[in-house]
Amino acid sequence: MISFEKAGKRFGTLDAVKDFTLEIRDQEILGLLGPNGAGKTTLMLMMGTVYRPTSGAISVNGLDVVKHPNDVRKLIGIAFQDPRVDGILGAFDVLNWHLKMTTTLGKEERAERVEQVLRAVDLWDARKKRTWLMSGGMRKKVEDCKVLAQRPSIAVFDEPTAFLDVPSRLLMWKMIRELRDQGSTVIVATNMMDEAERLSERVAIVNRGKLVAIDSPEKLKSTTKGGEVLELTVGVGQQFPRELLAEFSEVQDVTQTENKVSVYLTSGRLLLPKIVETLTNRGVKIDSVHLKEVTLEDVFLNYTGQSLD
Amino acid sequence: MSSSTIQVKASTSPVGQVSTSGLVWQMARRDILTLFRTPWIIISRSMAFIIQLFVFAYFISGLVNYPGFFEYYAVGSVVAMVASISFIIGYDIFEEAEEGLLDYLLTLPVSRRQFIIGRALGGAVRSMIYIIPMFIIVALLEKFVNPVSIIAAVLDLFLLAFGVTGLSITMAVTVRSANRFDVTLALLDLAVTRVSTALYPLTKLPLYVRPIAPYSPVTFASTTVYDALVLTSLNAADLAGLIAFVAVFIVLGATIYFRRLEGGVYA
Ligand SMILES: Nc1ncnc2c1ncn2[C@@H]1O[C@H](COP(=O)(O)OP(=O)(O)OP(=O)(O)O)[C@@H](O)[C@H]1O
Ligand SMILES: [Mg+2]
Repeated sequence: MISFEKAGKRFGTLDAVKDFTLEIRDQEILGLLGPNGAGKTTLMLMMGTVYRPTSGAISVNGLDVVKHPNDVRKLIGIAFQDPRVDGILGAFDVLNWHLKMTTTLGKEERAERVEQVLRAVDLWDARKKRTWLMSGGMRKKVEDCKVLAQRPSIAVFDEPTAFLDVPSRLLMWKMIRELRDQGSTVIVATNMMDEAERLSERVAIVNRGKLVAIDSPEKLKSTTKGGEVLELTVGVGQQFPRELLAEFSEVQDVTQTENKVSVYLTSGRLLLPKIVETLTNRGVKIDSVHLKEVTLEDVFLNYTGQSLD
Repeated sequence: MSSSTIQVKASTSPVGQVSTSGLVWQMARRDILTLFRTPWIIISRSMAFIIQLFVFAYFISGLVNYPGFFEYYAVGSVVAMVASISFIIGYDIFEEAEEGLLDYLLTLPVSRRQFIIGRALGGAVRSMIYIIPMFIIVALLEKFVNPVSIIAAVLDLFLLAFGVTGLSITMAVTVRSANRFDVTLALLDLAVTRVSTALYPLTKLPLYVRPIAPYSPVTFASTTVYDALVLTSLNAADLAGLIAFVAVFIVLGATIYFRRLEGGVYA
């Protein structure tokens, strides 16, 4: 378990992270979602003993990061946001050296693991190419592969799929999930909604160095004000029987402009057939139905007051 | 995903037992290997050294009225060269900080002390490898054959390399602005090697450097090396000075500065 207790990091006069309190459970995949400059990287680097918290405390499996940095480092593997690889080395050597430093694996076991991850991300043929000659995406994969091959008990990925093409992103997510299934606790920082939503079990929304919300993506969406909106187009000139919908407790409000009716719901998916049935039975002619779901983006907008795109 | 009682399965790497000396050595090896990636540097530097020694030294020895000056200058050149080369590691580490590679290295399960000792060791061994050709040239020219003297001289040179490397690393993690760092290190290099009696005897140095020159680590090293090779004697006082220099910059550098060390140039 990792715990942040009122952790803070001040650079000069800037509070990059402030009063940050959060517990990360063993073997979960936690997404840290936040806009640029929110403090995600700073949080991870404090946990990884690179930056020293200027206030509060952080502990990893009960070990305080300031008092026992050496023990904490043995538990953690970090894949950096922008690849931190020795440019003059090829991918194989980068990964092999990383495993030499972080594991007790023998020469052959290391070679095996490195080959396994490099083949998986389709970089085996390019294993000798100097990393500074690689494309941005290739280099990023090598960075992610460090942690995938290391299999640390706490795996940190800072924007693991930035620069990756679509198939590679899906693959990387799969590999990160597998890493968790093998026993690692995974923390993923991202500013991409789909990544946070599809990869993590819990999402922590960070804004201006502060934790503003933490829950599963579903819960976050369901507790967001406004909920889902059912948009109905009814036959022209029809009077819409609003009172009929009042019997559903999930319905919060109904508005009508000409023949477009908007029904505001807390949770619409299950209710949709019932509503349509009730209305049809009453003889209301429905031309079209559209359920607008709450996206994580709405949640984000709600908590941070800013859109990511 | 709930309880904290879930054990991390055996498939995650066992990391607790990576040996300390192994990690220090890996850090050192990394720096040593960079030398072999660019072997032409050693070759071209050795050539330059030979040219300087023959052309410049023969010319100068005519001007400096000092018996045995060529021998003195040849030995001193090797010592000064060790010091200059040992400063390079600081530039390497500074560059790593700028590129962010230092952040990565600092997340590895290496204590800050192991880190600085490993890097200083790597830098020192690297300097020693680098000057081997020059040392051999001088030994052949001056017919240094006594094995005990040669071993003593090599040890003295290694101590100097180790200490200067430590000094250079300490500077690299203390001075955080690129411009200031370049200037600081260049000045230190100049001060430590030129304000010393490595190349010219104290009596031939300009008056204003004479009071300080005897205390330069390069002076300690060149005196001990010269005494070992030429006089086949042990200069205990200067050896003590050299050891003190190493102790200050390796031990103090490692414990004081590295406790503060964070990654990132502006951290
Ligand atoms: N070493 C540093 N020195 C000074 N300021 C820093 C340093 N590192 C980060 N900051 C500042 O702290 C704030 C948080 O930065 P951080 O890199 O943690 O954000 P982030 O959430 O990772 O952003 P992004 O999505 O762009 O990666 C920013 O304002 C940044 O400029
Ligand atoms: Mg970041």
